[in-house]
Amino acid sequence: MVKLPSGKVINQIRLLRFMADEMTQAELGDRIGLTRQTVAAIEAGKYSPTLEAAFRIAQVFGKPLDEVFQWEG
Amino acid sequence: MVFREKIAWLSLAAMIVAYGIYFPLAEQAAARGEATTPHLLVLLGGVLTVQALVVIVASIAMAIQSGRDANAPADERDRLIARRGAAIAYFVLMVGMVSVGCVMPFYDQGWEIINAALFALVIAEIVRYVVIVLSYRRGWHG
Repeated sequence: MVKLPSGKVINQIRLLRFMADEMTQAELGDRIGLTRQTVAAIEAGKYSPTLEAAFRIAQVFGKPLDEVFQWEG
Repeated sequence: MVFREKIAWLSLAAMIVAYGIYFPLAEQAAARGEATTPHLLVLLGGVLTVQALVVIVASIAMAIQSGRDANAPADERDRLIARRGAAIAYFVLMVGMVSVGCVMPFYDQGWEIINAALFALVIAEIVRYVVIVLSYRRGWHG
């Protein structure tokens, strides 16, 4: 069996919200079609969003995807 | 707590209480020799009605309390969690139904088979709600 490399997705959403005039989780959620709780779960690393949602989040902050999400191995 | 998680907790608790009452009562009726199909149908109907009423009233109260969250459409995480719960519960249900099918030839009472099938269904539903609650609580990583 192939052993997958261990690691997890981390993100800078909390920091980016802070830099975007303290955008709330609910505001971000409304703009990308997610609930406030899902945004909170993504921030806390409890949920890895789909690629589409990840791109939408990056688009809201005007950042490339890899500045919002990183792989921490 | 997400509205959908609250509903899952509520449904789980209501189901455990309702069938935690129904199955022992059905067993007692069987021990007394009163486990006729009409008697058990009345018992099951009563338990299901009370369960449904409790879930409906509590859901309305939770929706009022949750406000905007209750009206929010399910997002991708909600749908994935619901799908995971259903997929695992389906497997449990299939195992349960196959087990009922295996023991069915050894019982001639219709209500015993119905109760065994109902038990499999209840276990599958409990598993579904537990998976949903755990997925919301502990996180989802695909």
